[in-house]
Amino acid sequence: MALVELSNVTKQFTKGEQTITPLDQIDLQIAEGEFVSLMGPSGSGKSTLLNLVSGIDRPDSGSIVIDGTDITQLSRGKLADWRAENLGYIFQTHNLIPVLTAYENVELPTLLLKQTSQQRARRVQLAMNAVGLGDRVNHYPRQLSGGQEQRVGIARAIVTHPKIVVADEPTGSLDLKTSRQIQKLLQDLNQQLGITMLMVTHDNEVASIATRQLLLNQGKFIDGHTSPSVRREGGEALG
Amino acid sequence: MGTHHHPFAGKVGKPLVKYILKTLWRHRARTFLTVSGTAVAMFVFCLVGSVQQGMSRLTEDTAANQNLIVFQENRFCPASSHLPEDYAAKIQKLDGVREVIPIQVWTNNCRASLDIVVFNGADPTKIQRHRPLVLTDGSWQTFSNRQDAAIVGRGVASRRNISAGDQFTIGSLSVYVAGIFISEIPAEENLIYTDLRFLQYTSGLNMAGLVTQHEVVLNESASPDLVASEIDALLRSGAVATKTRRKSAFQASTLSDLIDLISFAHWLGYASIGLVLSLVATTTVMSVQDRMKEYAVLQTLGVRPSGTVSLVVGESLFLCLVGGCVGTFIASITLFVGSFAIGAEGATIAFRPSLSLALFGVGISLAVGVIAGIAPAIRAATVNIANTLQDA
Repeated sequence: MALVELSNVTKQFTKGEQTITPLDQIDLQIAEGEFVSLMGPSGSGKSTLLNLVSGIDRPDSGSIVIDGTDITQLSRGKLADWRAENLGYIFQTHNLIPVLTAYENVELPTLLLKQTSQQRARRVQLAMNAVGLGDRVNHYPRQLSGGQEQRVGIARAIVTHPKIVVADEPTGSLDLKTSRQIQKLLQDLNQQLGITMLMVTHDNEVASIATRQLLLNQGKFIDGHTSPSVRREGGEALG
Repeated sequence: MGTHHHPFAGKVGKPLVKYILKTLWRHRARTFLTVSGTAVAMFVFCLVGSVQQGMSRLTEDTAANQNLIVFQENRFCPASSHLPEDYAAKIQKLDGVREVIPIQVWTNNCRASLDIVVFNGADPTKIQRHRPLVLTDGSWQTFSNRQDAAIVGRGVASRRNISAGDQFTIGSLSVYVAGIFISEIPAEENLIYTDLRFLQYTSGLNMAGLVTQHEVVLNESASPDLVASEIDALLRSGAVATKTRRKSAFQASTLSDLIDLISFAHWLGYASIGLVLSLVATTTVMSVQDRMKEYAVLQTLGVRPSGTVSLVVGESLFLCLVGGCVGTFIASITLFVGSFAIGAEGATIAFRPSLSLALFGVGISLAVGVIAGIAPAIRAATVNIANTLQDA
């Protein structure tokens, strides 16, 4: 059974008198441990799809079942609980909380779960180490480079051991060298830790690190699905 | 999801407080200005409240409702009321009268003043028996034995820097300070008591055999209004006609112009609260407006809408509470140290700090903090997450 299953999902927007349909009766399955990239031209619906899977937007019709829960049926509060427990989100522009240190930013999602301070500290430290920033815990976002900020953002996304991590153009605001470092990091997290990922990107090179590439255009997949990859063996679990 | 524990969703947890404090510290100039403005407004609110309380104490005092003041008819300033001292013996014979205290009043200013000095001359034994005074320095014995001795209320002593053992001179009056007293009735602490004879025979007053007023202490069962009518009827045929009223009514009448002004001043108190509300609400709205994306990020990470409300309301609550506490504290200290009083025609209204006023000030700050934060909090909690993340 797929970890993520979208069935007949449609999303429409009204802009003036015009109705736009960024997603038109979409079906998608993502297996546990899979790394899926989503490409397409601007306005093709890839960000909308990411928002729907993240539970920060709702479809007009269809269902989105993740690990057995149809998230379209959850209230706003329950959806927030679901995100806290099941979702990691990597933003294009990092979106770290400026008043919190790197450690506190990564710790933030764990504060929403029932954990002891020792458990939280261990998870934060492991996540920071996983992204190679164990020595930057007390730095504020303004004291970090763009690449380091994105690493903190990635640590924040994986610290709760979510069912799925979504990434919205995670290298979009980085230079080439830093972009490649982040690509490698994402690939390692998927291959070594078995984290399921759905990533939106404009960049073919970035898309190629995924085990399956999907192309969206005018609200529909145009290439169809490739076969879900099998989770790599030997991944070391976090925490 | 059942295992969730949400410090941002309802409970004011340590992380929530830390986040609020760090956010406020990051925008410390804005925080400082808002807290300062709130403190100033709450300072004014407490000063106005203390004036209102002083007025209420004067007009609602139970003891003052059971005592009568006999004054010369159609006279208002103590300097113009001259009653024969022997009226006391006539009044004493009426049913319901426990004791009559002839009082000579001298004041340095019959008009409204913030530094009025009022002397009340009366029999020292009657003063000790009927006035709720406690000497904090000096002795009753010196006051009784020495004719030019006076006991001075804490308020006057504080304003004029008078201590026991000093010689205090004002106008043609010069007294030896036999003691400093405090009283459960704050207005008393703005009086100076001397022996009746001393005040009557002071050079320039020439009031031998005359007094300003008679204070009539009634038995508990007596009807004040009935006895007042009987006194005026009894003395109508005397040398000087009288007007007798309950002490509280007499004071209210004496201070009527001031009371009108003070009653009007309560609008100033409401204006202060309105100022705090608009100030903190503006700051909170600006803060939320600047950080809509941050609230969208927090909710993406799993912070509930109710948690977002707690964050925003917590912020406005903190601003109001700190400003309110600072303003209330400074007002209380100022009122305590300043011993302010306003008086006219020999009667005074004391402005005092009080626990009830301080608690009311803090309570108002809490309420205003919540009200100021509600609208921006709802806005932050209902933000369209996807659009906000995309737009920013």
